[in-house]
Amino acid sequence: MAAPGPADPPPASLLAVENLHVRLERGGRTRPILDGVSLALARREVLALVGEAGSGKSVLARAIVNAVPPPLRVAAGRVLFEGKDVLALGERALKSVRGNRIGFIGANPMGSLDPRLAIGEQIVHKLRSVQPGLSRAEARERVLAMMARVALPSPAARFHEAPFQFSGGMMQRVMIVDALVSEPALVIADNITQPLDVTVAAQIIRLIDSLRESLGTAFLFISSSLPVVAQIAERALVLQEGRVVEEGRVAAIAAAPREAYTRMLVARIPPIWKGVAPLPKVEGAPVLEVANAVRTYVVRRRGTFNAKNQVKAVRDVSFAVRAGENFGLVGESGCGKSTLTRLLAWLERPDGGRIAFLGRDLAALGAAEFKAMRRTFQLLLQDPYGSLPANMPVQRMIEEPLRIHGHGSADAARLAQAAMAEVGLEPELATSLPVGLSAGQRQRINIARALVLKPRLLILDETLSALDQVEQAELLELFLRLQAEHGFSYIFISHDLALVRRVCHRIAVMYLGRIVELADNATLFEAPRHPYTRALLSAMPTLEANRFPREEYLLDGEPPSPIDLPRGCAFRSRCPRAAADCAATDPRLAPFADGNAAACLHPHGGDAPARTPEAADGR
Amino acid sequence: MFVLSFLLRRLAQGVLIILLVIFIIFTLLRVVPGDPARLIVGGMAPDAVVAEKAQELGLDRPIPVQFAAYLRDLVTGDFGRSFVRPKSGASFGGSAFDDQTRQERASVLDLILDTLPMTLQLAGVAIAMALAVALPLGTLGGLHPGRWPDKLALVIGSVFVSTPNFWLGIILTLFLSVKLKLLPAIGYRGFSYTLLPAIVLAVELVPFILRTLTVSVAQVMREDFIRLAPVRGLSRARTVLVHALGNSAVPLVNLLGVQLGMLLGGVVIVEFIFDYPGLGLLTINAVLQRDFPLIQGIAVFIAVMFVLINILVDLIAMSIDPRLEY
Repeated sequence: MAAPGPADPPPASLLAVENLHVRLERGGRTRPILDGVSLALARREVLALVGEAGSGKSVLARAIVNAVPPPLRVAAGRVLFEGKDVLALGERALKSVRGNRIGFIGANPMGSLDPRLAIGEQIVHKLRSVQPGLSRAEARERVLAMMARVALPSPAARFHEAPFQFSGGMMQRVMIVDALVSEPALVIADNITQPLDVTVAAQIIRLIDSLRESLGTAFLFISSSLPVVAQIAERALVLQEGRVVEEGRVAAIAAAPREAYTRMLVARIPPIWKGVAPLPKVEGAPVLEVANAVRTYVVRRRGTFNAKNQVKAVRDVSFAVRAGENFGLVGESGCGKSTLTRLLAWLERPDGGRIAFLGRDLAALGAAEFKAMRRTFQLLLQDPYGSLPANMPVQRMIEEPLRIHGHGSADAARLAQAAMAEVGLEPELATSLPVGLSAGQRQRINIARALVLKPRLLILDETLSALDQVEQAELLELFLRLQAEHGFSYIFISHDLALVRRVCHRIAVMYLGRIVELADNATLFEAPRHPYTRALLSAMPTLEANRFPREEYLLDGEPPSPIDLPRGCAFRSRCPRAAADCAATDPRLAPFADGNAAACLHPHGGDAPARTPEAADGR
Repeated sequence: MFVLSFLLRRLAQGVLIILLVIFIIFTLLRVVPGDPARLIVGGMAPDAVVAEKAQELGLDRPIPVQFAAYLRDLVTGDFGRSFVRPKSGASFGGSAFDDQTRQERASVLDLILDTLPMTLQLAGVAIAMALAVALPLGTLGGLHPGRWPDKLALVIGSVFVSTPNFWLGIILTLFLSVKLKLLPAIGYRGFSYTLLPAIVLAVELVPFILRTLTVSVAQVMREDFIRLAPVRGLSRARTVLVHALGNSAVPLVNLLGVQLGMLLGGVVIVEFIFDYPGLGLLTINAVLQRDFPLIQGIAVFIAVMFVLINILVDLIAMSIDPRLEY
């Protein structure tokens, strides 16, 4: 039962998958999902499995533990694990493999455990069901010890908390405990960083790397992104439509891919530093001006009768977007970018400060004036499925905003058809319902809906993140073409730094409701001043060498709650450069000589802020 | 600490709801035609006696004053006295206005508290019967969507939901009671008299429980943590019993809470058919006899029960799923 100690001679291979075929069988038709996959994994090795959505990588992960759900079926092949064919094992023998010798971590940490029950108890239960000899107290002891090893703060207290009381990153640590607590020889990690914020994902990778070294566990590390696996794996397999198309060292695949498919995968990865042409500076008149915007939510404090908490979602945000400019707004979950988006789109009003469009304060406009103004700034959302009415023909959908703004139906139809042509929707789609349209086509409808009003500014709230890379590239091209023709300004609200690097002229980085750095593209990516910006960049998975090594710049922990901000600089609790004065002074966004700005008392890069930041009132 | 603040908040809300119910019932009863003083003393009494009775009952005062007086009495636990029912039980016939038995009128609270255990017993047995059938079948249906248990649950649900309760009551009485002599049907002289009306009520409940349970079990079974359970090494039995049923329990508890509330107030038809001496029968008679204090009392009482049941259901749901604590 116990893992072989270092004294045992390591067998040549821990896991060998031989010519595995898995088929989808439904309604008398079969379709191959895995088509003759073979791979070998040695003890203590990290093998990466890279493939796009639908390549069959998650099915392979389940097939290795003989848990392929119907209507999928293993048609042929063997999975040799520690010398036994897992696919031939009975239920009883499988119990000593699944969850015991082979651990599993999935892509959805928040949904991986029963949402109602304490995580500690659930892991104890799992451990005792795969190792029945263990007493409750022993199992508990081991879970707590493993919780401490993955650096979950106060394990004894968190043992009794339910999944909803954890953040995504912390919950992924819990799932690492769940996978490793039985001391498995192999852990299958299926896309584990995909839902996480970039700095949290980098922390998880760092944690797994250190654990596998100390525990001697082998990892099958599955991801759709080559840069992600390059952070941890030596060797990689590239899976395409159920076949292994290329196999080799990650560095070799990244540098010189042999197969056409792999070459395309590598070519699609946007460069961040190497050979990036600087974007020209945009000197238009300001379209949108935000001055000292503040938004605070009041929520009832849990467990009290009537006490209230203040959630400071947006704190004193100021910036301007010029005509024809692409403005980027980046930050991690909970940084306030969604609230700011709602303020910019005037779906919600700021509690303080001023938002002016084309020089006019939105708060001062009357209802009729505001409606006319509303045409000129449009919001595009992330979810292409939830944002379209399911029972309306496509052209009617695009006419809708025109009718709202008082166009006659013949006029609206003409403009809608023109817009459809402009965004690349075939005229045949005009009378059909949106069912069955791809995410990319749906986003084109959304773009057309905004476009018909001849807006000046489009607010793109993660508009491209639900799309695959090909669709994303096409839509980006469309955005830039429309900009050249109509002189639009864009605000890209995104967590995707590579996208922002490609298209945004200026970028604002948000942390806990405040813009901590606002700089042009080149400065922000090449010589950022704020330590948080550097931490974000260091956490980016890249194939090229990262300019900001993680050892130096990556942060620990997670952002504090916006209810309970640290005194002084809100970033100081995680800041590697924090000094005594950071606790006393809350730095405001202050410009440097080159026009860029950062909210930091001790910025990187030498030159001091042009004006001294005002002392905070000790909030 | 949390539970305390929760209770405080909910009880405060409950008091508001009950006040509103009292106000509506009180006003409606004063607006509809019919003179209660005349009802009490009987059709043959002279007008002077009616006026005297009205004055004695306070019916001659302005309605807001009557309302305030009624509220004050309620707070002290005095639900008033029935207009027409004597303490002895049976309601009056057409006897003369000076009949001595008219003097001893029954307390509304006593009337309600006498019949409440009967209705609670009926509701409890009915829910137990319904759960015994629907719990296993609904769970199986949810575990195998589209297969035979699911279809069986659907068929049973459709047949039961489209069976009128008065018809079923009569048919069951005919077969089980009259023909086969298995169960007694009319009145109440022991526990066995509860079974037949309980079966009729259970048949009404089963479709709702089946539907709720199959839908929620099927939904939970599609969740990631259930699909991940075999890979983590959990057994199928534990996955279903602890995780699937545990997560389906909250909608079920909510449903049962609403149904229990309905059963307390609304088993009017079934109690009437079987002449079962519960709250429903009391309500019907009170309405037929225009017995204002009794109708008011029952309405207030049911409102209080609804509020309490809802608080209890929320507490249970919160202990099943801590995410519901807010």
